[in-house]
Amino acid sequence: MQTKEEEFLKRIQATFRYEAEEHLRAFSSGLIELEKPGIRENPAEIIEIMFREIHSLKGAARSVDNRDVETLCQPLENVFSAMKRKEINFSSSFLGHFYKASDLLAKIITSEEINQSPSERKSTRELIQQLKELATGKSIEITSPELVRLVPNPEVTPPEATIPVAVEIPVSHTESPATKESIRIRVSKLDPLLLQAEEMVQAKMAIIQRADELAQINSEITEWIHDSFKWKGNRFKASPEMWNEWMEDNGLRLNKLERKIDAIAALTRRDQFNLMRMVDNHLDAMKQIIMLPVSSLVEIFPVMVRKITREQKKEIDFVITGTELEIDKRILEELKDPLIHLLRNCIDHGIGKPEERIKQNKPPQGKITLEFAARENGQVEIILSDDGRGIDTVMLMKAASKAGISLDDSNEKPNRREVLNLIFKSGVSTSSIITDISGNGLGMSIVHEKVIKLNGRISVDSEDGKGTSFHILLPMTLATFRGVAVRVKEFSFILPTMNVERVIMLKEEDIRTIENHYTIRIDNQTISLVDMGEVLGLPAAINSYVESSDKGNETHNSICVAVLTNKERLMGFRVDEILEEQQVFVKGLGKLLKRVRNISGATILGSGKVVPVLNVSDLIKSALRVKSGGKVHSPEKHTAEKAGRILVVEDSITSRTMLKNVLEAAGYIVVTAFDGLDGFAKARESEFDLIMSDVDMPRANGFEFITKIRADKKLKEVPAILLTALGSHEDRERGIEAGADAYIVKSSFDQGNLLDIIRKLI
Amino acid sequence: MNKEASIILKNRAIAMAKNPDQETGFSKSTGVIAFTLAAETYCVESAFVKEVYPLKEYTSLPGVPDYILGLINVRGQILPVVNPKKFFNLPERGLGELNKVIILFHNKMEFGILADFVEGSLFLSPEEIMDVPAGVTSIGEKYLKGVTMDNLIVLDAEALLNDEGIIVDDK
Repeated sequence: MQTKEEEFLKRIQATFRYEAEEHLRAFSSGLIELEKPGIRENPAEIIEIMFREIHSLKGAARSVDNRDVETLCQPLENVFSAMKRKEINFSSSFLGHFYKASDLLAKIITSEEINQSPSERKSTRELIQQLKELATGKSIEITSPELVRLVPNPEVTPPEATIPVAVEIPVSHTESPATKESIRIRVSKLDPLLLQAEEMVQAKMAIIQRADELAQINSEITEWIHDSFKWKGNRFKASPEMWNEWMEDNGLRLNKLERKIDAIAALTRRDQFNLMRMVDNHLDAMKQIIMLPVSSLVEIFPVMVRKITREQKKEIDFVITGTELEIDKRILEELKDPLIHLLRNCIDHGIGKPEERIKQNKPPQGKITLEFAARENGQVEIILSDDGRGIDTVMLMKAASKAGISLDDSNEKPNRREVLNLIFKSGVSTSSIITDISGNGLGMSIVHEKVIKLNGRISVDSEDGKGTSFHILLPMTLATFRGVAVRVKEFSFILPTMNVERVIMLKEEDIRTIENHYTIRIDNQTISLVDMGEVLGLPAAINSYVESSDKGNETHNSICVAVLTNKERLMGFRVDEILEEQQVFVKGLGKLLKRVRNISGATILGSGKVVPVLNVSDLIKSALRVKSGGKVHSPEKHTAEKAGRILVVEDSITSRTMLKNVLEAAGYIVVTAFDGLDGFAKARESEFDLIMSDVDMPRANGFEFITKIRADKKLKEVPAILLTALGSHEDRERGIEAGADAYIVKSSFDQGNLLDIIRKLI
Repeated sequence: MNKEASIILKNRAIAMAKNPDQETGFSKSTGVIAFTLAAETYCVESAFVKEVYPLKEYTSLPGVPDYILGLINVRGQILPVVNPKKFFNLPERGLGELNKVIILFHNKMEFGILADFVEGSLFLSPEEIMDVPAGVTSIGEKYLKGVTMDNLIVLDAEALLNDEGIIVDDK
C-alpha cells in the first residue's frame, strides 16, 4: 500500500514538473516581451498573461504540495495582480526580480532534491520579501530604477545585466503562450513506435521479394506459351516420341509452377499475418499515445481536495465518476487547469465549515461530485457539483459593477442565468476575503476561456443555500468511446459500451413472464426483457421474426440479449446478433437531424458503412412507453368478469405468440389456432367472445375462415376481426363481404388501437 | 510554338479577359443543376449545391419521418439524405432510379436530396423564370421559384434549407 502511494506521488511529481516547466517557459517569454521597448508603454496584455501563468503555476504547485514553489509564486502573483489593477505601474526595475524569481522557480522545479541549501533558502526569503514590497507599492522609491540598486541586496542582479541574457533567447518564444500544440510523449511509449516503424521495413522487403517471385513465374509462363506456339506449328510433323516428350515436359513444367505458386501463396499468407499484426499494433500504439482515460487527469484531485479540506477544517466527500472514458490527451491537458480552479472554488466558496452546515440543516460533510459522461453528438459532459452555499447573486452583481462590468441596460430585471454568467468575467469575485487559493476573480475567466478554446460550453447553475453545479460540454471529436455492434434484423447498431452492463445468450425457457412482461434473471435480479426491434419500431417486425423462429428447433435457438443500463435501471434488450466490441468515433447527425429519438449519432465502420449509435437512456424510456402502451389494462379493468375469451387464428408462430401476449396482458383469455381449419375446429369446441384471424394462411385463409364462421349457426354472432399485412381496398371489401366486423392492417398495427377495437366489439 | 499560334492565343486571352456582361449579360444569370424526379425535371441553384454524389448505399434510421431516407458516407462525413418525393408528397409515378444525391448546403444546414437522374448544369436568367401554373407540380409554392418555358421547375433551395419544418427534432 505504502509503495503504491509512493509510486503515485512520484508520478504526479513528474507530471507537475512537466506542467510547471511549461508555465515557467510562458512566464519567461512574457519577461522577454516586457523588455521590448515598444511594449513597455502598454504592458497590460502581457501582464495579464504572465499573471495567469504564475497563478496556474501556483495552483499546480499547490496540488502536489510543493510549498517552495507556492510560497514564491504567491508574492510574485501579488505583484502582477497589483500591476493589473493599476495600483502600481510596471517599471523595468521589476525585471531583475522577476528574472531572479523565474530562475529560482526553475531551479526548484527541476531539482530532484526537496531541500534547498541554507544559502538558497536565504536568497529565496529575501526575494520573497522584495516581491512583497513591490506589490504593496508602499515604498515609492522601489518604482524608481535608480533606487532599486540602493536596496541593500547584492544578490539581486541589476536589471541591466539581465538584458543581454534575454536577448540571446530566440524570438520564436513570442508566440502566444496559450497555443500549446505539441504533446509530450514518454520515451517508453515512443520506443515501441520506433521499433514498429523499423519492423515495417521487413514488410517492405517481403513485398519486393514476392513481386520478384511473381515476375519470375510470369516469365516462365510466357516462355511456356512461347514454346507451345512453336509446338503447335510443328505438331503435324511430330513423331509419337516427340509427343511423349512434349507431354512429359508440360507435366514437369506444370508441377514446377504449382510448387512455386504454392510456396508464394504460403509466404504471402505469412506476410499478410505479419502485416496485419504490425498495422494493428501500430494503430494501438498510436491510440495509446493520443488517448488517455479520464482517470489520468483526475487522479491528483482527491489528494488535492483532501489537503485543502483539511487545511480549511472542512469535511468533504469527493466522488468522481466516468473515469474510464477515454479522451484525447490534448483535451485532457487543457482541462486540467479549469477543473482545478473549479474544484478549488467549490471547496473554498461553496462548502461551508461543518458548524455552518449543521446550522443550515445539512450534514456536516459536504459533497462534491465530478462526473464525466459521453453525450450525444459526440460530446463529453463534465458536471461538477457541490451541495454548498450556492452563489450569492446579489453579491455577484455588486462585485461585477465594482469590476466595471454591467449587464445589458435594456434588461430591467436581469434573469438569474445572466447574472450567474457574470461569474465568468475577469475580475469578478464574490469572495469577501481573498485567500491564497481563490478569490481574486481570475480563475473563472480562465476556465471560461479554456472551455471556449476547446469549442465547448460552460454553464453554471446555482441555488441559494442548496449548492452549485457547473456543466461543461465539450465536443468529443477527439474523444472516442467503445461500442458494441449488434444486429437487429437487417440493421446494425452500436451500443455505447459504457451503457452495456453485459451481453448474454439465453434459451427460450430462461425467459419468464411476470405480470405479463417478459423478464430474465441476472445474478439475483429480475429485469424486464424487451425486443430491440420493437422498441425501435423497425419495419416488418412481425415477418422477419417468423423467419428467425422458424429456423430449426426453437428450444435450441439461443437468444442474444444486451443488458443495458442508464445508471438507474437495468433492462434486457433482445437482439438478433451481437457482433463485436470496438472503438468507435461517434459523429453527429447534422443540423437536419437535430434530435432523433433513440439515436445519439452515427459512426463509420472500416467497411465504410454508416452505423447509427443508440442512445440508451432514450431506449429505456421508449421501452417503458412501448410496454405501457401494451398494458392498457389498469388493475381494476382486468377483473374476472371482464375477461373475454378470444380465439386467435394465425399461422406465424411469432405473431401468434405476440398477439397472445398482448391480449393476455390486457386480461383476456386466449386460445390460439394455426390456420383456418384448425381455427374453425377450435371455434366450435368452445365459446368465444371474439375471433381474430390472419388473412394469409395455409389450408383455409382468413376470408374463407370468416365466411365459414358466418355460415355456422353457433358462431355467426361472434365478432370477428381480420388482421393482416395486406392493406388494399379490395382486401378490405372482401373482408367485410366475408363478414368481418373489423379489419386491421398490421403495418398500422398498434396495440392500443387493437385493444380499443376489441373493447368495442366485446 | 509558332508565331501564328501565339497570336491566336493572345487574342483569345484578351477576348476571355473581357467583362462578360458587355456581351451576353451572362453575369445576371444563375447557374443551376437540373435533375429529374419521376416524370418532372427540376433544378436548384448551384450556389447551394456542394456536390453531386452517386448513391451507393445508405443506412436507414428507425423512428424518423419517411422523407428521411437515411445516412450516407461522403468521404468520411456522415450526411442525412432527404427523399424529396416523400417530402413534397409527389406521386410515385413510375419507378424512379433514385441513384444520385445532390448535396445542398446553406449556413450550417447540409443534406442530400435524392434525384432519379441528374441532367447537368445550365444557366438561367431571371426573365426566363415564370410563375408556376397550377397543376404542374404538387410541390407547395413556398419551395418554388418558378418554371421555365421548357417546363423546368425551379426549386427554392434556400427555402428548403431554411425550412424549420424539415428538421427532425424529437423531444
